[in-house]
Amino acid sequence: MTLHLVKLAISNIRSRRTRSWLTILGVLIGVTAVVSLLSIGTGVEQAVLQQFKDIGYDIIVITSGGAGRAFAGGPMGAAGFDGPPGMTGAPTSPTGSSFAPGEMGEAATAPGTATTGRTFSPGQIGASSNTTSSSSSSTPAAQTSTQAVPVVDTDALLKAVAGLVEAGNLGTRVVSVDGPLASGFLRVTTPSLSFLSAFPSILGGFKIASGTTFTNTTENEVVIGARSAGSLGIGVGDGITIDGKGFTVVGILAPSKATSAESSAASRSTRAGAARAVASTANGISGGASLLARGMTNTDDSLFVLQERAVSLWSSQAANSFTIVRMATGVKVAEVMTNISAELAAQGVKATPVSVQQIAASIQGTLGMIETVLASIAAVALIVGGVGLMNTMYTSVLERTREIGILKAVGARDGQVLALFLVDSGLMGLIGGVLGLLLGGVLSFFGTRLLGPALGVGSFQPVFGATLIVGVLVASFVIGALSGTWPAWRASRLNPVEALAAE
Amino acid sequence: MITFHDVYKTYLMGETRVEALQGVTVELPERRLAVIMGPSGSGKSTLLHLAGCLDTPTRGRVNYNGTDLGALSSRGRADFRAKSVGFVFQKFNLIPNLTALRNVEIPLLLQNKPASEARKRALDALNAVELSDRMHHRPSKLSGGEQQRVAIARSLINDPKLILADEPTGNLDTQTGQRILLLLKSLVEKGKTVVVVTHNPEIAASADTLVLLRDGKVESFSTSHGKEGRV
Repeated sequence: MTLHLVKLAISNIRSRRTRSWLTILGVLIGVTAVVSLLSIGTGVEQAVLQQFKDIGYDIIVITSGGAGRAFAGGPMGAAGFDGPPGMTGAPTSPTGSSFAPGEMGEAATAPGTATTGRTFSPGQIGASSNTTSSSSSSTPAAQTSTQAVPVVDTDALLKAVAGLVEAGNLGTRVVSVDGPLASGFLRVTTPSLSFLSAFPSILGGFKIASGTTFTNTTENEVVIGARSAGSLGIGVGDGITIDGKGFTVVGILAPSKATSAESSAASRSTRAGAARAVASTANGISGGASLLARGMTNTDDSLFVLQERAVSLWSSQAANSFTIVRMATGVKVAEVMTNISAELAAQGVKATPVSVQQIAASIQGTLGMIETVLASIAAVALIVGGVGLMNTMYTSVLERTREIGILKAVGARDGQVLALFLVDSGLMGLIGGVLGLLLGGVLSFFGTRLLGPALGVGSFQPVFGATLIVGVLVASFVIGALSGTWPAWRASRLNPVEALAAE
Repeated sequence: MITFHDVYKTYLMGETRVEALQGVTVELPERRLAVIMGPSGSGKSTLLHLAGCLDTPTRGRVNYNGTDLGALSSRGRADFRAKSVGFVFQKFNLIPNLTALRNVEIPLLLQNKPASEARKRALDALNAVELSDRMHHRPSKLSGGEQQRVAIARSLINDPKLILADEPTGNLDTQTGQRILLLLKSLVEKGKTVVVVTHNPEIAASADTLVLLRDGKVESFSTSHGKEGRV
């Protein structure tokens, strides 16, 4: 009987083709919205969490300077360049594109203002560049007196806290650089030797394309990101002046996986701001979250100087500073965190430890909340589609009153008439659901291609779980059937004689 | 045998109370052509609807072979319509978006008969009314006479003993009407009880039993054997 009802319902749908398709369209739009938003949302969540998984849930980030210190931009961003002599003279970015205040705010923090969170201004750039060009030994950064951030003694930390197996420091600061082709401000990243040996993956593997890595801690050696090397016009063995001090280029890094297009799109896009807000959701963990989730994807624009060397060269200058530690398997995270805090206090370092687990859980929670809100909005579209379907079914009952009378005259029971209309509306809902699922899938694939670079999570795929697919199909059929319930009930209760008399 | 015992039927038409039947008592014999005549509003169609379980009496009893039709539940009435009676209407009442064949199949499908059986019996029924060549046409592509023959085929698909026809020739030309009349008479010869509501005197002339209604009451009752029926 069910099959006969379905056949009858299909012939009813086909006989009212235009109206049926318009009704199905309403459901289709709602389902498309739900599917695309949920699959993209889940995809973003998994992509972000995968980054944490790659880093490892056994990692703890210690952010120097206390909780709530925002990490503006990635640690490897370029601060700014003068164009080479003889060129336009206008400040340009390392990629050669026009300099924009927005880019500066994303890419760098002004020298000496890192701890206060103030951002670069074009005016500062011009002044700084001029100063740098005329007198490389006297930069605004060098002249600025700011609060020094004590560096965590990682050896002491490993000894003092049971359950830690590796630790390393990583700092960033903005410096003035004079190269053969260009001069200006760049961000220098200062990993400790222990950091490089324990956590190279956080620096994109720190793969040397030419030359070597650092050879000692007593000489001024610098390793340069691929794009910076090109912009500055230097190669392995060349000399370079950083904050007035002579350095020798010992190695040039291989280009990072993050493309320049991705990083620049991320810095320009307003959606990137939203993503960063997600990554920095909890004030207390914002620095670590940004550092781990975003900052390490691009090493191309930075210079690298060993921290052991940097502390003796820039002892009075402020910097962003992080310490990364790895826990042993099976230790109690809370206990380790407490012990780390105690040791930091003992070392006189004002810093906050945050575990990757905490960061990931916080981000997951925020993403989940955003997903729920988006899905709720999409659900409203689905409900609107359901109301449209109810309207169609109600009109259909009015139009088919005579037909209902005929069916009853030839022996249809009330329940069969009810079922016929329910199958009719449920089928329209289901068709809308299937088509919405397909369209939502297509939109999701295109959406992720656009959103991936913009959100700074690289390329990622939308996630179509069995729950989503089955849930959407069942929900669309149920919404369709529920929308048809009242009209169908009315149809089933019609008196056959009155129904047959209808025109 | 269909018997009406002091049957009243009252319904509301807007705010007007209509006394469609007022104490009708009559017996319609089996395997005969019974014709109900009377002016418009006399209660002819109402009487037919009560006989076919499309409606229930306000008062009184309608019996079919000993079953009190008024006492049946909604489901019982639906089953009665499905198995025991076939309807033929003046306006044909075919489902417009189904082909002739599917229109004829519907009563069997509603009884959960296998599709193959329904298809075979529908083809036989359409053959019986000489419409097998038009079975894939929708009602809108059929003439009035063809539509009525499809309706008759549908009424026969369950092989019911009772055929109720409400003005079956009302929308047909004379020649087609005669053809339908012959068809109905052939059903009586095959042992069916056929009750026809009509204004057509030609059909009345062929009746075994003639009931004349006026103002919801039986005005006269006669049989082809000349004896007065019970009124």
